[in-house]
Amino acid sequence: MTSNDSANVSFGQTFAAGIWNENPVLRLLLGMCPTLAVTAAVKPALTMGLSVIFVLVCSNIVVSLMRNLLKPHLRILMFTLTISTFVTIADLFLKAFAPDMSETLGPYVPLIIVNCIIICRAEACASKNTLAVSIVDALGMGAGFTITLCVLAGIRELLATGKVFEIQVMPGAFVPWAAMGMPVGAFITLGLLLGAVNLITKKNS
Amino acid sequence: MLKNIKHFAGQSWLLIVASFVFGLLLAVTNAAWRPRIIQNEINKFNNLARALLTEATDFEIAAEAVEVDIGKGKKIRTDIKKGISDANECVGWAFVCEGSGFADKIKLVLTVDAGFEKLSGFGVLASNETPGFGDKIKNNYFRSQFVGAPATQLLLSKTGDDKKIDSEIVAITGATVSSEAVVKILNNYIRQIKISMQAEGLVNNDE
Amino acid sequence: MDTLQILLMGFISVVIVNNLVFTKFLGICPYLGVSGRIDMAFGMGCAVTFVVTLSGTLTWLIDHLILMPRGLEVTRYVCFILVIAGAVQLVEMYIRKFFPALYDSFGIFLPLITTNCAILGLCLFVNLWGIDNLLEAVVLSVGAGIGFTLAICIMAGIRENLNLADVPDCLKGAPITLITAGLLTLAFMGFAGMIR
Repeated sequence: MTSNDSANVSFGQTFAAGIWNENPVLRLLLGMCPTLAVTAAVKPALTMGLSVIFVLVCSNIVVSLMRNLLKPHLRILMFTLTISTFVTIADLFLKAFAPDMSETLGPYVPLIIVNCIIICRAEACASKNTLAVSIVDALGMGAGFTITLCVLAGIRELLATGKVFEIQVMPGAFVPWAAMGMPVGAFITLGLLLGAVNLITKKNS
Repeated sequence: MLKNIKHFAGQSWLLIVASFVFGLLLAVTNAAWRPRIIQNEINKFNNLARALLTEATDFEIAAEAVEVDIGKGKKIRTDIKKGISDANECVGWAFVCEGSGFADKIKLVLTVDAGFEKLSGFGVLASNETPGFGDKIKNNYFRSQFVGAPATQLLLSKTGDDKKIDSEIVAITGATVSSEAVVKILNNYIRQIKISMQAEGLVNNDE
Repeated sequence: MDTLQILLMGFISVVIVNNLVFTKFLGICPYLGVSGRIDMAFGMGCAVTFVVTLSGTLTWLIDHLILMPRGLEVTRYVCFILVIAGAVQLVEMYIRKFFPALYDSFGIFLPLITTNCAILGLCLFVNLWGIDNLLEAVVLSVGAGIGFTLAICIMAGIRENLNLADVPDCLKGAPITLITAGLLTLAFMGFAGMIR
């Protein structure tokens, strides 16, 4: 893990790791629940991705600032408290300024609290590294997560409705594959995407 | 005993301080944004209702928390809102209807004319129906069948003329259950709200 | 009799029609991780059922007796997750001390599932569905746990056979499990609309 060698690894490498090598969804297999649930269309996926980036960055900052004060057996409790506070703030923000998105995402916004990505990054990176490294790691992981979500959502929305981000892309003669918008499409698309990523990484290594 | 407390405090002071700080943060954020959140909900209802009752410029609550039985022993409270025009006249009534659909709950806004004789249409507030099938209850060709329909018990049929406005509603092909759910919810609310409104003297009794 | 019917319908709906794994995408992480063998899957399922019943009841009580009357809904998520974590911790200690045999069969999964989306997810759904009596909340929680157990055992049974099949290299592991889950979801979709 790049975070152990924080003195020698550049910020760029940490950021890039979050996007490809250690992409939280495709490589580390974390945070699957929101990935499947909100990727029916690109707009909710993007909203979810941005919310996760917000919570990740804030919680990494707070945990990194507190890292020398944490008592070992209470630290998970501290992480949970921090994360749930920021998720509540993000949820209130969405309800106030983007009510349609808040409704589409529904209970999956508070489920960011138990999203393994955030607590794993707090545990593995923020509690052991300086503020700057933690922020860059958070941004990298968040960006990787958001990009994955958007790609998945793009595929699903395109096939399910012929539109991407509510802009018509497919010609009028295209018959939409409604199944893509349903849980079936979610599971199968993610499975195939994971398979594709495995294929690409095997070819490169 | 004091030593125990000291030890305990030494271990967990950070937790207690953090709880206070976070609690404060939450309270401040909530106080700042709660009015906006409440306004958003009101706006959503108003926008849907205004699209159906085009002459209404504002809605005020005429009867609060009227109880409606939606079956299976569940009773829901809904507010009956009066739509008023610029000239301060009543142009119709609007209220939220709820019931179970194919997949999940369906929430509709139903608008009726001032005398509770004809429906002015409905809008979908929240639904989770099958995309591509039950989702079509949001479409205009289904909803327009209700505009001007009589405010009595509606009948669902599978075939018929959907351009003719009467108490017969043609179901959506491939979404019979969702269409039936909508008609059932509306029938239930039309029947019960009418009785409540007549009891409160908001509309005249049937001759 | 009417109450019993409603409870029974609610139970069946959460187990089959609105199964947490297949329709609400909850509990995927342990689902992928532990569904390799049927005995482990069953143990995980039992642990989840246990925790979810406990959490569902506790969070419902806290929500209706403390949070809503005092207008403290903004702290709902924080309270829920802390209650879940705390309750599981206590239960694990209790079981390890007094029921060692039980601990051996499913105790190791307990810490794993505290941060399982299924638990918090169910507590939030009970809140979202506006369940207003305790008995219904308990029945739904038990149903959710049983639904999860059902889903994970079916998946374990299929995966045990998949081990002997000729899966392409790039699809081995998580991808093929997800595709299988997708097909299972398709099958379960047939139940939709059964309970209204």
